[in-house]
Amino acid sequence: MSGPEVLEVVDPGLLTTIQDGGRPGMAGEGITGGGAADRWSMAIANALAGNAVDAAALELTIAGPTLVALARVTVGLAGGIGGRVANTGVAVAPGTTFTLQPGDTLLLDGPATGARGYLAVPGGVDVPEVLGSRSTALGAKFGGLEGRPLARGDRLRAGAPADELTLPPRSWPGDPAPTPGPIRVLPGPHAAYLGTEALDALLATAWSVSTSSDRVGLRLEGPPIAGGPVAELASHGVVAGTVQLPPDRLPIVLLVDHQPTGGYPVIAVAITADVDRLGQLAPGSSVQFQATTPEAAREAMEMRRFLFRAGADELRENGRWDDLWLSAR
Amino acid sequence: MGPRIVPFGDAALLVELADTVSVANARRARVLAAAIERAREQEPGIDAPVAAAASVLVPFDPARTQADTAREVVEAALAVASTGGAEPHAASLHELAVAYGGDDGPDLELVAVELGLRPDEVIELHAATEYEVLFLGFAPGFAYLGEVHARLIVPRLATPRVRVPAGSVAISGPMTAVYPQASPGGWRILGRTDARMFDPGATPPARLRPGDRVRFVPRR
Repeated sequence: MSGPEVLEVVDPGLLTTIQDGGRPGMAGEGITGGGAADRWSMAIANALAGNAVDAAALELTIAGPTLVALARVTVGLAGGIGGRVANTGVAVAPGTTFTLQPGDTLLLDGPATGARGYLAVPGGVDVPEVLGSRSTALGAKFGGLEGRPLARGDRLRAGAPADELTLPPRSWPGDPAPTPGPIRVLPGPHAAYLGTEALDALLATAWSVSTSSDRVGLRLEGPPIAGGPVAELASHGVVAGTVQLPPDRLPIVLLVDHQPTGGYPVIAVAITADVDRLGQLAPGSSVQFQATTPEAAREAMEMRRFLFRAGADELRENGRWDDLWLSAR
Repeated sequence: MGPRIVPFGDAALLVELADTVSVANARRARVLAAAIERAREQEPGIDAPVAAAASVLVPFDPARTQADTAREVVEAALAVASTGGAEPHAASLHELAVAYGGDDGPDLELVAVELGLRPDEVIELHAATEYEVLFLGFAPGFAYLGEVHARLIVPRLATPRVRVPAGSVAISGPMTAVYPQASPGGWRILGRTDARMFDPGATPPARLRPGDRVRFVPRR
């Protein structure tokens, strides 16, 4: 059984994919976790649309898509990309819901305050689950819509029945995306091997995000980190937020589509609370790293959890809201 | 060296068992990962461990599990593994037909020159070994196989290819592998197999699983 068709793609934008909480725990099959590059923003979009935090949503990249409504439908927008309804001129801002009438054209071409935006529909985007998730695995081409980005003419279905596609207007009580700022890191498992000068250089430099960055990782440009030769190590498991130092001595920060294992030395690892922030860094933007402690990492994560719960509680007060908070991540 | 447990950010520990890639080290990693996997029933804040060449990454949910608790679980699992733990599942033997050389194996001739061998000797040495799946990584269904014959050890390409065709059979250092999908890659391509290595609709989706045995059969 499939839900009602709600949106048709007129222009797919730069890279629009279906993403959810991904496929954790499948590294033994060579499958990476994947899912939304910024879980925080996806959770807000889903909360606005009345969904569980990890329901499948559209992930927009830098230049979002143009969509035409096929039904009267309320959508939730969050993250770093805004837009407008072309035929009415009404601006739509991240952190709000808005109801489209059939035939309305939604143009998600900015303004952009970050690299990614999330658009949620009631009941989540309805595509088949593959290996436990609706996320698009772009490298191996499965999940989402046949494993590919959205294309012109695609019609998207919502998981909610036809009589539950609209919701009252509401807005997220806090920031609709992770707040910008330095990426807090802990020294990586190979920081000592690379030397304190290397870690100091990583922390002292304002790095520029290269245009060859994608959902696999951010390639950083700046002065190569000085030091002795960088050997390739026996491959080991890695996580999103891992900062690798390859032989060209320019750091790579792994994002959600990273390979399950890697062989470059790990100079630092971003704290869990800041991984979503990495997903909002667009090519050409600047990023700085800041050393922190395990205690501070824990406090930052608890603060994040508190903020989401408070926001979700405030939304729930206004209507029929189920328990939105499913997990801390 | 003895096992070294090091923090990997605020949500994982890395257990380094050795520095080098070998069948024996990968086996130790799998046995340890299996012991941690069993311990997860009591400690659900620990996420699925990732066994690799000579290490196990142990991710955990910092909202539910403290790093100290994860470390205790790892230490207990190391004790279990050292007294002879078990492989996660029974090994299968796979025979993969390979067309070596030509367009299917564009690096065969150069690798032979580099190693001071004839191309048919490279094929013979590559096909003579029954390999073990050390671990999966790089891409869905990509199995690292070891160890190749000592005379077949070559470095990867200095500049990786933008596109390696699906089914390419390649070598690098002590390992060999089949590329399951077309992807970028820096290993030296000796041949190609038609076998489908990854099918997201199948159970399990990856043809080769850690601990399995693999033979390459030259196709005439």
